[in-house]
Amino acid sequence: MWEHRCKVAVSGVGFSKVTRSAEVPLAAHALEAVKGAVEDSGLAMADIDGLATYPELPATGHAVVDGVTIVSVNCMMTMLKLPNLSWHVQVETVNIGGAVQQAVNALLAGVCKYAVVWRAMHNPKGTYQNLPGTYAQGATQFTAPYGFGGPGQGMAVAYTRWLEKHGQSREKMATLAVTQRRHSHMNPHAYFCGQPLTREDYLSSRMVAYPFCLYDCDIPVQGAVAVVLTTADRARGLRPRPAYIAGYGQRLAFEVAGRIGSLSSYMEGGRSSSRLTWERSGFSPKDVDVAQIYDGFSASVIYGLESYGFCKEGEALDFIQDGRMELDGELPLNTFGGSLGTGRIHGLWHIIEGALQASGRAGERQVKDVNVSFVGASAPIVQGTTFIFVKEPY
Amino acid sequence: MSDWSKVTRPIPVPNEWTKPFWDAAKRGVLALQRCQTCKHFQHPPYATCVSCMATDLAFEPVSGKGAIYAYTIMYHAGDKRFASAIPYASIIVELDDAPGALLAANLLEAPYTDAKVGRRVEVMFEPLNDDFTLPQFRLARDAK
Repeated sequence: MWEHRCKVAVSGVGFSKVTRSAEVPLAAHALEAVKGAVEDSGLAMADIDGLATYPELPATGHAVVDGVTIVSVNCMMTMLKLPNLSWHVQVETVNIGGAVQQAVNALLAGVCKYAVVWRAMHNPKGTYQNLPGTYAQGATQFTAPYGFGGPGQGMAVAYTRWLEKHGQSREKMATLAVTQRRHSHMNPHAYFCGQPLTREDYLSSRMVAYPFCLYDCDIPVQGAVAVVLTTADRARGLRPRPAYIAGYGQRLAFEVAGRIGSLSSYMEGGRSSSRLTWERSGFSPKDVDVAQIYDGFSASVIYGLESYGFCKEGEALDFIQDGRMELDGELPLNTFGGSLGTGRIHGLWHIIEGALQASGRAGERQVKDVNVSFVGASAPIVQGTTFIFVKEPY
Repeated sequence: MSDWSKVTRPIPVPNEWTKPFWDAAKRGVLALQRCQTCKHFQHPPYATCVSCMATDLAFEPVSGKGAIYAYTIMYHAGDKRFASAIPYASIIVELDDAPGALLAANLLEAPYTDAKVGRRVEVMFEPLNDDFTLPQFRLARDAK
């Protein structure tokens, strides 16, 4: 077990307004979320001395404009003018979960006391993906000439492999989409809060990239979320009950750029990341009371459930049936609605929900008697970070 | 059957590591990068052998016979220039000669509904312009 388990905790969390596309500059969303998280902690902004983010703009072919289409650490420093700032980082290969992990490391090293991590996501007006023009450069030279465009297709090919290898049917995914949508109705910040989705809606919806229909894909939105992390002893002195970080992991495998569709690479990414989290925390999948698993595309949840060890390979679509993923089920899953319910804010919202469930602060959607709360914060092969939050330090 | 006649495909831009693949395709030959130390084939080309870390890599012809490893049917034109072909099958092929090397392609000369995991396919060549030819795949003629 990890000697630093439960020495750092998530304290406050914050959310901006989520809109379908950009109405105000993205920096305004990020600022709203960060202020919300600091206020939720009961801290003053001047107490914040650490900053971390992953600012990537997933919409391709759009200009990167700091404060408008991304919100970098530099942008946040400019806005906040923190008098006690002592540490910051902007991560690349490990996604937003990696930014949280770096903040944990900085707190353990004693180079800051109260760190804020935010994720701000831009949705440009008009076309989301402006795909390569006349020429296909770099890794796309082997994919774009064949009409492989956005990330959805790369995910879709692995999903057909999974479905046909295991003799499964995509119709079973309706349970995930409908249950998560219902969960999002208990999350006032979610984009789809209050908008119903039935099994029939799912089964009759238009196909995007078979086997993905419209409701297998998270909707691009503009918004931001943020968390305050601090050391466990400091967290105990703040307003919210702390959610202690018992362990974390990151994927230790990666795919050659331009090679797509390899199901085994997805699985290896998830297995390597979760192995670290299980070993560091000392828990195993059967100990988990509630799980948040990244769902930018629905099939990511399937790869996650299997590669993290919650069920056997080929069985995840059966695993989520019969009420097992409901709030009172065997493994309550994506209890905040997931990205399918909140809109595309990437994995920091999964991390926030994992922390809220561990600290008993999830309100109407709180799962009963949670101690061990698991998070898979991004697609297993893409940037697969994993976490365990606990209510009781051990 | 998807109508490819009005599709303008993006033109590949080779670099010095990928040029032999495109040069071979222009001659109607499918050639993949192979490690000269451990004999592992890999695709897309990479700076080193991802199997044994050797750096002596060369392109060698392969038979062009294989099976559909995975596929998707595109109903939404992420790239608008492909709109007239929708719905169409984008496939990932694993070659008999090169297990683990995965090639993207379209399934040509067949209804898109014929794309299934495990179905036998063979390479064919689709000229894009005077300089570039795309390796593509059709259902294997000798398959039952």
